[in-house]
Amino acid sequence: MSHITIQNLSAFYGDHHALRDITVEIPEKLITAIIGPSGCGKSTLLKCFNRLIDLTDGARVSGKIIVGNMDVLNGGTDVTDVRRRMGLLPQKPNPLPMSIYDNVAYGPRLHGVKEKKKLDEIVEKYLKIGGLWDEVRDRLKSPASKLSIGQQQRLCLARGLAVEPEIILCDEPTSALDPVSSQHIEQQLLKLKNDYTIVIVTHNIHQAMRLADYVIHLYLGELVEHGPANEVLENPKEERTRAYINGTFLADVKADQEINLKGNMCPYNFVYAKQALHALEKGKILKLIVDDPTAVTEVPRGMEAGGHEVVSVRQQNKTDWEIIIRKKS
Amino acid sequence: MDKLSEEKLFKALMIASLAVVVGSLFVVVAVIVWNGAPALSLSMITQTPKGGYYLGKEGGILNAIVGSLYLAFGSLILALMISLPAALSLQKDYIGKTKAAYYIRLSLDVLWGTPSIVYGAFGFIIMLYLGMRASLLGGIIVLTILQLPIMIRSMEEVIKMVPADLKEASYTLGATRFETTALVVVKQALPGIVTGVILSFGRGIGDAASILFTAGYTDSLPRSLFDPVASLPLAIFFQLGTPFPEVQARAYASALVLLIIVLALSIASRALSKRFMKNIIR
Ligand SMILES: Nc1ncnc2c1ncn2[C@@H]1O[C@H](COP(=O)(O)OP(=O)(O)OP(=O)(O)O)[C@@H](O)[C@H]1O
Ligand SMILES: [Mg+2]
Repeated sequence: MSHITIQNLSAFYGDHHALRDITVEIPEKLITAIIGPSGCGKSTLLKCFNRLIDLTDGARVSGKIIVGNMDVLNGGTDVTDVRRRMGLLPQKPNPLPMSIYDNVAYGPRLHGVKEKKKLDEIVEKYLKIGGLWDEVRDRLKSPASKLSIGQQQRLCLARGLAVEPEIILCDEPTSALDPVSSQHIEQQLLKLKNDYTIVIVTHNIHQAMRLADYVIHLYLGELVEHGPANEVLENPKEERTRAYINGTFLADVKADQEINLKGNMCPYNFVYAKQALHALEKGKILKLIVDDPTAVTEVPRGMEAGGHEVVSVRQQNKTDWEIIIRKKS
Repeated sequence: MDKLSEEKLFKALMIASLAVVVGSLFVVVAVIVWNGAPALSLSMITQTPKGGYYLGKEGGILNAIVGSLYLAFGSLILALMISLPAALSLQKDYIGKTKAAYYIRLSLDVLWGTPSIVYGAFGFIIMLYLGMRASLLGGIIVLTILQLPIMIRSMEEVIKMVPADLKEASYTLGATRFETTALVVVKQALPGIVTGVILSFGRGIGDAASILFTAGYTDSLPRSLFDPVASLPLAIFFQLGTPFPEVQARAYASALVLLIIVLALSIASRALSKRFMKNIIR
């Protein structure tokens, strides 16, 4: 059964096309992992689900997202309604400037629960589900900001669940956490999947393997592949998925030659890359560094069209990207 | 210049500027205390001026103390009621990015730098036009207008600093813009809001020029909003203008009273806001 149906979804930031015509279904009460290199639009996709993207200046979305019988992107749909049906666990925990208790009670209070006894029950229930109750039961009134980062993340989970959503969206929920806290969050998510549909964005293929039932691979704003986790992760149909998974496994591929094409525009960087590849023997690996956004998309596409293997594309920092190509022909 | 002497130079600069700040504050306070403390007496703060007070006979400045408190708190409350919603609506969630917001900020900045005598003259003309005479109400209104730019701009600056992910957290839990603003933004920005209030309170209670024509002056306690009212800055001004040393000393004593009121309010409000501040996200 599909829970979220996405049809022809496109998203733009100004004239940057961040998501290109995505059509996919997200299954109910399973964990779906969205994987893909940095900047490929994973966070953007989540922000479309709960319409947080409305808050970004200059962002536009087209297409359809259907959750149950709700048309999420329709202007007439009440956005607070959309959001209370989807909890969000952010990359960096963001407790509200209030006590632990008030953080969890925040959502229920907004949605009309006033009775003290009822709120007490809710807070206890969801702190238990979040796996935080035992650690904070004696200091519910102390500021949430005093908790450790790992505890704050579990608080954010409890706070999101207290609104009683159907869907939990997680954007790299463990990337700011230490290994123990990460494991804690992963265990909670595995327990929660009996009752919730969970969508998790992750950079970590191992995490996707541990958690996911279903995998969606995005690459530079395009949907490359989706399907059951074991198929996509172990036996991808698409060359680009294989390249991505290999790329994240081989933390550092040893390049036979490395050229820096920073400051070059398209199509020159493509031409230079072609020349460099031409000089190499078959099977050798070429590493390119580019900073032109168009090159990030077009160079790998062109190389694949030329029959070469794109091993990985990774963002190194704010501007620079590393493209690794194996010469095939 | 090598790193070490650079470091030393910078340190010397910092110490020098701190010395200027602390030093000038110290001199002002010392002059006021030195000249005013001997003249300060219980009767001075519990009595209104009797006949011949300004010639050095008995009486006190209770009329000015009470008048200033009425003026300052009246205008503070009014200005706060206008400034907080105004500053909040200048967030980018509301009108912050529009052309209108740009012009609002620009005019507030111009108003901030406008001398207070201009406010006084402006208020006076309006009051003449309306047939009002100098009164507590007139003074409160002009002081309110005087405080608006300070309050709104200083509050807006701290409200802008509220981290975007706090607002996002609130939005993702299904809060509306209003709920997010009232429950999260105000809480997080509270210390800065309090600072803005103290700043403009200081300007309001210390200003003489704007209330000279609009609030007037009287030796009796204010009885209604429509009667003229005395104020500490004007009391200081009048007493300092007399040729009698004992009355001039009373001017310093009045300044000391003013200083103590401002100090008391800032300490009290900071202590109060500390209790609400423990939850703030840093
Ligand atoms: N507010 C914004 N304004 C303009 N461009 C943006 C904005 N947010 C994201 N983008 C761009 O949209 C693309 C997709 O961004 P997104 O944050 O969705 O990537 P991501 O897959 O989540 O990356 P990461 O793994 O680094 O979090 C990127 O190229 C990014 O530069
Ligand atoms: Mg992201």
